Amino acid sequence: MLSCAAVADPAAALRSRLTGFVGFLRVNRFGVGGGDALAVLETAERVGVFDRDVMRWSLQALLCVRCDEWQRFDRLFDAYFLPPNRRRSWDALPNEREPDLRLADAVPEDGGDASKTPGADRDVDDQGAQDERHGASREESQVPADFRTLDRGEDLVDIAALMRRFARRLKRIALRREVRSRRGRRLDLPGTIRRSVESGGTPIRVAWKNRRRIRPRLVLLLDVSRSMSAYSVFFLRLARALTAELSDVHCFVFHTRIVSVTDALADTDPKRAQDRLHILSEGWAGGTRIGESLDAFNRIHAPRLVHSRTAVIVVSDGYDSGEPERLAAALGAIARRARRVVWLNPLAGSPGFTPTARGMRAALPHLDLFASGADLASIERALPDIVAALS
Amino acid sequence: MTSPSQRMSELIGLQQQFAAVGYIADRSLAAALLLMTDLGRQLLLVGDAGVGKTEVAKALAQVRSARLIRLQCYEGLDAHAAMYEWNYQRQLLAIKLLEQDERSVAAKEQDIFSERYLLKRPLLDAITCATPPVLLIDEVDRADEAFEAYLLELLSDFQMSIPELGTVTATSVPAVVVTSNGMRELSDALRRRCLYQYVEYPSFDKELAIIEAKMPEVGGSLARQTVQFVQSVRRLDLRKKPGIAETLDWAAALLRLGIAELDRESPERIVESLAALIKTREDRAGLTREVVARIAQAC
Repeated sequence: MLSCAAVADPAAALRSRLTGFVGFLRVNRFGVGGGDALAVLETAERVGVFDRDVMRWSLQALLCVRCDEWQRFDRLFDAYFLPPNRRRSWDALPNEREPDLRLADAVPEDGGDASKTPGADRDVDDQGAQDERHGASREESQVPADFRTLDRGEDLVDIAALMRRFARRLKRIALRREVRSRRGRRLDLPGTIRRSVESGGTPIRVAWKNRRRIRPRLVLLLDVSRSMSAYSVFFLRLARALTAELSDVHCFVFHTRIVSVTDALADTDPKRAQDRLHILSEGWAGGTRIGESLDAFNRIHAPRLVHSRTAVIVVSDGYDSGEPERLAAALGAIARRARRVVWLNPLAGSPGFTPTARGMRAALPHLDLFASGADLASIERALPDIVAALS
Repeated sequence: MTSPSQRMSELIGLQQQFAAVGYIADRSLAAALLLMTDLGRQLLLVGDAGVGKTEVAKALAQVRSARLIRLQCYEGLDAHAAMYEWNYQRQLLAIKLLEQDERSVAAKEQDIFSERYLLKRPLLDAITCATPPVLLIDEVDRADEAFEAYLLELLSDFQMSIPELGTVTATSVPAVVVTSNGMRELSDALRRRCLYQYVEYPSFDKELAIIEAKMPEVGGSLARQTVQFVQSVRRLDLRKKPGIAETLDWAAALLRLGIAELDRESPERIVESLAALIKTREDRAGLTREVVARIAQAC
């Protein structure tokens, strides 16, 4: 198991081999820290290093903190500790550090080449973009502040500022559950009695209850199909900025299937976040099956994610290649489970827009708010409505 | 350093102890439980509802013949409900009684804020036991982040400060088992403090062993068919997959209905019994007579 132990000082070599494993896991995106190396040594001391399985199970319990880490651990353990001729699984490991350049232009990061942005060359691309958006009116693409023309750096700062404001407003949303507070609307009887103890049973200082403030959980479902390709990058940037502001945000992208990108967006290293999004967003900008994607969301993610103070925000143009009945049923199920459902449609901001797409029509009855969101300005206009719908 | 066989035999010994109290533990879980004692860490169990996370703590308490103290978390749980409260009513009564007393005010006050009037809630209870108990913090993801931070503080130095009494230091350090259904992302600090176990739905062999341990009255062939059926049902695209408790319920229901062989039984009767196994309307609708017949035939 410990292949390089035959050095001058075997004990030191063994120690460095063991602690090296922590670094190896860190490179493989495990959230391990400096203290873990010590804990590994202590574990080895207790458990003994000669029984591979006992060592494996012990280190797995010690070093994993997430489900995905738990599932990848075995392969990494084999890769590190098994002698090379027995590393059968190493070659099968996907090379997670290698960025997938094929999708590099579809990722929400600064420093990218502007010419790579979909539709950056507006005059040339305008007609193509029109066709892709299935009949969005021509005026819509003339809106001056359309995000595609914004400089990426400035854009990011503005997005971050807007999301910070959004997060602050969400903070003010109060729930029905009450907590003790210094002043309030309702008398807190147990609290008052408790305080009266210090004055011999005479209630001199009165305690109050007030509604507690808790931000709702946000679940974002972003459509990244081809018809949305001009907007998905922008919304991913928004989502990333929002993830940085709020702790309870969960983000999914969908086209023909639905994938969670929460962890990828939350990655503090922007380059790595970009790489992870590439891997996740296979088939990006393909067709749309909103109904099926939402169905999958309901089945896999909703049971643990959506509760009575969850707000689900869907960002899509509603062009669905599946049956609208399925979309309506799935969205209805979400609406019953969640506190609020908001739909942002990038096309809705254009003058004369009517929700004619079949998917959009099917969705409307289940929504608490239907708003436009094509660029920063329109999101900002919609923000008060969104906050109101969430409270 | 312990010899390899020694640790492995400890591990198998622990598994047998768990089996004796009716819990079938994986080796990886047994390894984590041993390490928990060695390193003085807590154990964090994550997994779907119904995979037997809570049972781990119950079995651990039985194996150690320790008291099990359970803190069920819920949304809005605050530190007071989890740690301690003063018994105001009794305090007020005592004040009235003490009015005639000649002692000084300070002495009276000391009397009123003494341990006699302290209501111990699970966390305080757990650290003031005479012998180390097992503290089960169930579904920690239901409580909010503020509570989690509070919990973390307690778990890091096992002491608690009560303003009127001073600091209470643990007389015994409990074995802490934390469970989570993954409804909310837990803080990294809590994860770092704990040993982690991801609990999955049991394999065929494990589930069979569970049935044999918990319900020996179910015969060998019916038990095997039951488990086979449940395992197939879990592979279906269900809203709520049946957990171990559901399997046991269903096995009991089959016994009660006098169903001895699933593949010979008429699908209608099996469908009738499924109320014990399938708990949502959509899933019931999805498991039609034909689907049930197909699965039962394969058993």
